[in-house]
Amino acid sequence: MKVKILRQQFPSSEPYWEIFEYDGPENNSVAGVLDYINYHDDIADITGRKTTRIGWECSCLQGICGSCAMVINGRPALACETFVKDLKGKDIEIRPLQKFPVIKDLITDRSSIQENLMKTNIYIGEYQPSGEEEHLHQYTAAKCLKCGLCLEVCPNYVDGRTFYGAAFANDCYLVSARNHTKAKEIGKVYDAHFGNACSKSLSCMDVCPMNIPTIASVARLNRK
Amino acid sequence: MKDVIVIGSGIAGMSCAVRCAQMGVHVTLVSPFPSERSQSVMAAGGINAVLPEPEEGDSIASHIADTLKGSGYLAGEKAVTGLCEGAGGIIAFLERIGTVFSRDASGRPMRRAFGGQSHKRTYYCGASTGKQIVSALVMEVRRFEAAGLIERKLRCCFHSALIRDGACYGALLFDETSWQLISLCADALVIATGGQNALFGKTTGSTQCDGYAAGRLFMQGAVLKNLEFIQYHPTTLETPQKKMLVSEAARGEGGRLFYLENGRRVYFMEDKFGPGGNLMTRDVVSREICRTGKEVFLDVSFLGRKAIDERLPEVRDLCARYRGIDIAKDPIPVVPSVHFFMGGLAVHLNHETSIRDLFAIGECASMYHGANRLGGNSLLAALYSGFVAAEEIAARPGKESWPDFSGDLKREEAALKLGMSSESSFPVMYIRDMLAETMRDHLGIVRSEESLAKGLEEIDYYLSVAERIRYDSSVLPYFNYSITGILTIARATLQCARARTESRGAHIRSDYPETDPGRQFATLVSFDQGGCRVWLDKEHIYES
Repeated sequence: MKVKILRQQFPSSEPYWEIFEYDGPENNSVAGVLDYINYHDDIADITGRKTTRIGWECSCLQGICGSCAMVINGRPALACETFVKDLKGKDIEIRPLQKFPVIKDLITDRSSIQENLMKTNIYIGEYQPSGEEEHLHQYTAAKCLKCGLCLEVCPNYVDGRTFYGAAFANDCYLVSARNHTKAKEIGKVYDAHFGNACSKSLSCMDVCPMNIPTIASVARLNRK
Repeated sequence: MKDVIVIGSGIAGMSCAVRCAQMGVHVTLVSPFPSERSQSVMAAGGINAVLPEPEEGDSIASHIADTLKGSGYLAGEKAVTGLCEGAGGIIAFLERIGTVFSRDASGRPMRRAFGGQSHKRTYYCGASTGKQIVSALVMEVRRFEAAGLIERKLRCCFHSALIRDGACYGALLFDETSWQLISLCADALVIATGGQNALFGKTTGSTQCDGYAAGRLFMQGAVLKNLEFIQYHPTTLETPQKKMLVSEAARGEGGRLFYLENGRRVYFMEDKFGPGGNLMTRDVVSREICRTGKEVFLDVSFLGRKAIDERLPEVRDLCARYRGIDIAKDPIPVVPSVHFFMGGLAVHLNHETSIRDLFAIGECASMYHGANRLGGNSLLAALYSGFVAAEEIAARPGKESWPDFSGDLKREEAALKLGMSSESSFPVMYIRDMLAETMRDHLGIVRSEESLAKGLEEIDYYLSVAERIRYDSSVLPYFNYSITGILTIARATLQCARARTESRGAHIRSDYPETDPGRQFATLVSFDQGGCRVWLDKEHIYES
């Protein structure tokens, strides 16, 4: 099986494709494939030319930390829970998330996700819920990994300068649900950075590894 | 204003940062990744506390007694008392910052049974308690970031502590963006880097927790404690990429362990220990699974799909996704795997290490769990230890002057440059892999003098190689410079295991199968001219 990877040595250098041969286990995940290519032996591309090890990030390796978000066969996904046997076609094509600056190979700088939440003061402050709390939806929304898959797939999200995307909307919901005195302030930044520009393609929900129904957060925020 | 550096931004690091900020202490929170990537998000089961209206008969005294018993009576009573008495305040704090606990119809947080506990006292958030706490803490940290009291430093790794005459003045950090070492001074340095997972390769935990910080600080003079006590979680699921944790919640909800003999199910834990057998402490269950010598299964199917969907959805998804197992129909094949390190940096009750103004909290500190940790006590200890360290730091007078560390910086910069100046044909990652193989072979659930001695011999070889090799330029410099620290803590771990000539808690010796009452003390180890000095804490130095 051929594994085609879009590589980039430095943030400022040009990207280039490199192809590797993978002859490891078929029940492996894409994370397992990257590990196998990197450390099964000295690393060489399909022509036998010695090359550098492929940069990528991981932590939990079981789909709950969001480190290994990348684009696999055109679809944004977590490498650790995308399995070779489930992929269509006989080869695998992997590239870094395109909406974030590349640091090295498949490692991208996703810090804009947290920076946008910081800039807009998305924190609860004092816990003052209004009336009955919806614990189930709060529980689901709080599972957001900040992995960036929803932003990668979103037709409205460009680079996070004005439109902040689904990860932002879910955190806005959490704050307004838990502190009603902040709801108005949150409503304003939500409208400015999400509500006014979201075209409701809902592609964010298709790729979310935590299956967060962002539409439910949006409905609640729009109600206010 | 006082300045503190916290290394690691998981639950322990964030709880310390938040508590410092609440008291007006400025925090630099250092980590290579944002908190969402920390191992803390993987903590599944829950957090122990005895709250008002506990289960009938439960009390804080019972929580203390269970923790001490579970620890093989190696955890200090004063420390454990503080932990259990502080638990109610911790849960109240977590609720106040918006942690979404699972609740009953009347809105009260629900609790479940966990191993080794006389009563149900484990509060939980579905099966993602750690993740829910992280999400709540991230927002609370953000509140203090906005107030200028917490400053996150991302893509930064710990390199070493700035130490002079037995006191700590800050840290050298490796900045992955500039590829430079930076020197940062502070009134105190707090280490919250998690367990030493990398000793065993891929464990149930995060690949980011590697034990380097504790190993490096050990080489800089910090005393380590109880390294031989390593918790094997009895129920993990084998997958091609790692062994994944099947939460203790599965047994807490009634899950039964069995093996097959002539087509018949043998419920070996219940046969040996009675109806509560499946919920014995983790050390006991792992040992018993190991003794069967057979493939062991965990059955929850009798709970029915509805109860599984409600109470164990994460376990259901994990088994379905990674092994195609429908747990409502079929039993889960389970094996014990390295899960938690009871040992780490030796700390006093205030979480200060043997070096003044150097603190350790969370899993990298050894304090509350002795020879075996109870499920639900690690999240509690992570939060509690963060608070304790913060309160101690806030109460101390700040430093008036700092020694000149520019010479240290220059020396370390030169060493790093030399290492990076050429390529190695023997990459550091292979040494890490060989180390993991050695540790799995020689420091398994059951140990012996012969095996431990062999393990030490192998690590001595890797250490001799590690000192000679140049860096692998295609991996981050961190992986290169960290290898000696990791190998050194591995070596110290084997030495501690060799010195404890008895079986206690998670430390089982085939050549010393009995518990020796004369060894009911913590193991301490210090770095001594390249070697290790191991002794028992008979004076209880680290219980005060």
